[in-house]
Parts: sequence; structure tokens; C-alpha cells
Amino acid sequence: MVESLVRRKSGTNGTTIVVGRTSEAEKIDRRDRGEKEVTKAARSLISNFLHGGEGTGAAGQSGLNLVLFYVNHAILLAIFFLISIYKNVEFVYHRVMLKFLTLAYYPNKTPQLIREDVTKLNKIPRRISCILNLKYEDDENGGIDGLVNDISELAAWSLSAGIPSLSVYEYSGAVSDHLQQLCRSISKTLSVYFGSDSMPSYCVRVPHTNTLIYNINTENPTSQAPPEKVDLEITLLSRVDGKPTIVELTKTMSELVNKELAVNDITVDLIDEELVELVGKEPDLLVSFGPCLDLQDYPPWHIRLSEIYWEQDNLDVNYAVFVRALQQYSNCKINVGK
Amino acid sequence: MSDWLSTFPGYSQLLSTGKKVFGRIIQTGPTPQHVGIVMDGNRRYAKSHKIEIKEGHNRGFEAMAKILELLYECGVKYATMYAFSIENFKRPKQEVNWLMSLAKSRIIEMTQHGELCEKYGIRVQIVGDTYMLPEDVRSILDKVEDMTKNNKRAVLNICFPYTSRYEMTQAVRSVVDKSSKDRDFIIDESAIEDHLYTSDAPPLDLLIRTSGTYRLSDFLLWQCVPSSCAVVFTKKLWPDFTPWDLCKILVFWSFNKYWYGNSNGYSVSYKSTAEEDDVGSIKNDVTPSSSGMSTGFDRYLYDYDTNSDTTPIDTRDSESTAEQETIISDNSEQKSAK
Repeated sequence: MVESLVRRKSGTNGTTIVVGRTSEAEKIDRRDRGEKEVTKAARSLISNFLHGGEGTGAAGQSGLNLVLFYVNHAILLAIFFLISIYKNVEFVYHRVMLKFLTLAYYPNKTPQLIREDVTKLNKIPRRISCILNLKYEDDENGGIDGLVNDISELAAWSLSAGIPSLSVYEYSGAVSDHLQQLCRSISKTLSVYFGSDSMPSYCVRVPHTNTLIYNINTENPTSQAPPEKVDLEITLLSRVDGKPTIVELTKTMSELVNKELAVNDITVDLIDEELVELVGKEPDLLVSFGPCLDLQDYPPWHIRLSEIYWEQDNLDVNYAVFVRALQQYSNCKINVGK
Repeated sequence: MSDWLSTFPGYSQLLSTGKKVFGRIIQTGPTPQHVGIVMDGNRRYAKSHKIEIKEGHNRGFEAMAKILELLYECGVKYATMYAFSIENFKRPKQEVNWLMSLAKSRIIEMTQHGELCEKYGIRVQIVGDTYMLPEDVRSILDKVEDMTKNNKRAVLNICFPYTSRYEMTQAVRSVVDKSSKDRDFIIDESAIEDHLYTSDAPPLDLLIRTSGTYRLSDFLLWQCVPSSCAVVFTKKLWPDFTPWDLCKILVFWSFNKYWYGNSNGYSVSYKSTAEEDDVGSIKNDVTPSSSGMSTGFDRYLYDYDTNSDTTPIDTRDSESTAEQETIISDNSEQKSAK
């Protein structure tokens, strides 16, 4: 051990750099040999501390290393303790901030107020995407009903802000089994916001099951043909629209290859075209309504240049977060590569 | 401030010792294995400091060496740096040329005797579509890869030139190619993952984006969408990004992993609630072992539960526990129904 101390000293002094370097090489060597003998917890530390000869006794060495491990671990835990205090304070601060913001930005179910918030901004996204979380049934605004409510509110906000396309990502895709309920809820919310006479038209699209539901103003139910243009397009995404869709696309391509498709024909543009068809276009703005940024297997192809926004410690879908996301987007500058 | 400090004798020794000590401490807890960094903001740095753009890039490379040193000191096995995007070829020709020559000289410098690569046993891999590079740059990069190929302790992936969409396209293409030759080849997510440039690396644990831009800009999209990966945005421009900032990020990552078991922090997603169910089943076990619970938060929940279970005051405790059990089973039924 004395020898090791001397070595380390000479290494850190910088006077004999060559010795320091050879001990580095030894270090690697020792680590490979020592790995079998020592416990897993201390293993990473062995590499840092094993500078001395092996004759000093392996038991004493590993004992010392274990002690050092616990000392270091205690320091780490002390740091963690401080962080936990900091996080609690931060949490309270964020919650108070959010409470204040919810009071400051309250849509009051009137599109005019939302419009006023938005007209101050110098640009708004064309496509917005939101990551929602399915909460426990027992929680406030939880379960499918909660999700359906959130989506309806988001639809109303997007329409008021003048965003023509909204996609909603939820990991499990549970809402797509309750489309009837969703449509009813959206219609109800929109009629509250806009009045039942001038209710905007919308359509709900589930790319995975390839369903598309139009909801035109029910004034003239005779016109069954889908309208040329709807005011808002809602897309429901889930995990299957991400990586599994790319896998499906690969499978389809591998069936077509050597018949209609050459391997070299597979380009970025081709895949992009196919995925736009299968999933939708890339959103300009991605808002996560969770307490932290968690992408939850969001379709990887589609978040290339999306501006990402989330509010720390925010637990639910609220308008303040939505508006702040739009504000951030209006300030961002996208320059692809340049 | 820091300039003034650095004039003191022994300052650099103190720094390197500090890095070593920090590395030892943090390695006693969870540490990320694979870190991706978007080095963004060199030009803005140059503009704000009124220096030439090429000098800004130069400072960026200097910062990279310092950051890498700390990363490997903390036990990171794979570091993936976004040095040059395919879109960057759109920049003025002069700047591109300057970047190329800078990359050449800096990468060679890193692999020289006694520098970073030798010190930490780093294998350098150039990741991306290298066929787009000029001939001379490519030959030098090949040489560097060849020189360091025997280093085993850590890997440095330099993305040069890289975009994630090209990477995914390339993976799809090679999977299609393989399956056309071998009919038994199974196409699934892991097959595509095996053909990405980062196939030999462990899953990405941490992605850092500097310069206050909340976008991924086509970097490691496939790798960063799982919930296990934490995406961290910092406001600092890349040349300003110091090892101290990285320390903070790493400690917070470690804390989140240790306490919540999720490197993002506390998340309420469907996925994580499903995982909590698993923990619940462990809890309901007759002889629960604390080894099944890997995070501090789980252990806390477990302690909390056992305390409430094992401190019955009422005589009706058997009834109440029975009630609790039925409630738990109800919950699980509901969740499975979802």
C-alpha cells in the first residue's frame, strides 16, 4: 500500500509522467484480472485504487476498497439527500408558478380570449402534437373519461388558436376504442366554446386502424360525402405508430423487393413519404403534459425538428402550459443545418 | 473569474483530481452507460464573443475534450458526439472546409501519444455516412479508427456526417437486403436496431442538447424515444458548457435513477404505472425481499406499506387487511381490463 501511495503521488505531481502512465496501463491489466475475485459493488473502484503490488494481500486490498466504496457511497447519498431537499423546494415553486399561470391564463371557454393570447405571437405551428398520460381510474380526471375530456379541450384550444392539425399521443392507444364517446365529447365541448350554431367541423383519424370519422355540423345530415376541408384534423397516435410501423414498413418493403422495388430505391424520401401516409406529417410543436420530459416511444421518425415543450411538475392538461408552449414555439428559430 | 483562477499554480492538477474524485463518488451509484451530446452553439458563441466563426468551432472542440474526460472518469462506456450533420453541408463552403480541417487535426490530436484516447483506452468510431466526406478526411478518419481499434475500455462515437433519418433508412435498407437473401430472417424492432450505427452500444441513457434549443435536430431519434432515456436541454452554448454543468446533469440523472428508477424523474405514464403494478405484486408476496426493488422510491413505498400493514391497532385488523387485499385485486382487475 505504501508503494501505491508513492506511485500515486509521483503520478499526480506530474514530475514523472512516464511512471503515471505505466500505472494506467497496469490499472487496466489489474482490473481484468481482479474482476473475478472482488464483489460486484466494489469492482468499479478496484480499477481506480489498485495501484500497488499483489503481494500486499488481496483480502486487505478488497477490504480497504470496500471501505472506500462505502465512504464514497455515503458522500453520494449525502448529495442525494441535498438534491431531494432541493427538488422538494423546486416542486413547490413549480406548483405555485403553475397555479399562478393557470389564474393568469384562463380560457374561460371563450375562443376570443384564446385568440387574444395567440395574436401576440409572431408565428404559430401548423401541426401540434401532445403527449398525454392515461391516469388511474380513481385519480382526478383519470381513466378513459379523463383522456377524452382532455382531448376535447385540446381540440377547442387548437381551433381557437387557429391550428389546423392536432395529434394526440398516448402510449397504450386506449382512446381509439372509445371513438363514439370521444366524438360526442368533442362536439359538446366545441358547442360550449363556439355555440351550437357555428360549430366548426372536425375529423378524427386513427392511422393504425385506418379509420376516419368526419363530424360535420349536423344541420344537414343529407350531405354524406366527406367535405373538402375540415377546420381541425385530430389524429390519435399510440405506440404502434412508432417503431412497430417502421418495422411493418420494412416487412412490406422486403416482400416487394426484387419485384417492384430495388434495394437502392429505399431512400429517406421514400420512407418519409410512406410514413407520412401511414402516420401523418411531422408536428411543428410537441407538448408533453407530464411532470417530466418522457418521450414514451413517440414515433422516432416524426420528431426530427419538432420543438419540444414540457412544464416541470405539471400533472394535468391545462391551458397555461398550452399557451406557454405556443409562446416558446413563436420564439424559436429553425435553421436546418445552416 | 475562471480566467483569473486558472493563473494560480496547481489549478489544473486540482481540476483533474476533482474530476477523479467526482468520478469515484458517482460510480458508487447508478451511472449512464451511453451518453449522446449535441454540440450546438459554436457560432452563436463566436458571435456573442465577437470572435471569428472558426475560432468558435475551435473552442467547441476544446470543450469537447474536457467534457469527454469527465464522462470517461464517471464510468461512461459509450459517448456519442454529434459533430457534423448532413444538413451542415449546406453551410458556406468556406466554413465546411474549415470544419473538415479542424476535425482532422483535432481528432488526430486526441489519438496522439498520451492524449485522451490513450489515457482512457478509448476506441474511436466514426459514425455516419462517411462516403459524403472528402477523400483526404475519410482516409485520416479511417486511420484513426484503425489506430485505436485495440482499445477496449470505452468507445467514442463521432457522428460525422450524420442524421438519424439517414441512419434509420440505412438500417431499413440493410434489413430488407438481408431478408431478401435469407428467407428465415425475422424482421422486428431488434433486427432494425442491430443495423443502426450504434448497434454495438448499450441503449442510450442520456441525451444532452446545449444552447437552449428544444429540438433533437435529427440526432439519435430511434435511440432516444424510449422512456429509459433522459433528454436534457441546457441553455448554455457548447463552448460555455463546462464539466461542472455536466456534473450537475450526471448527479441529477443518478438521483432520478436511484430514487425513481426512471432517469427522467417521476413519470406518470401508463408504462410506468404498469411497472408499478409489478412492484405491487412483489409487495403482496408472502416473503417480500427488498432485492426485488431496485429504486429508493420503491423501497420507500414498500416500507410505507409494510409499516401500515404490520402496525395493526384495531382488533379488526384481519378484516381490514382482507379489505385491502380485495381493493388491490380490484385495481389489478381494472388495470388488466384496460
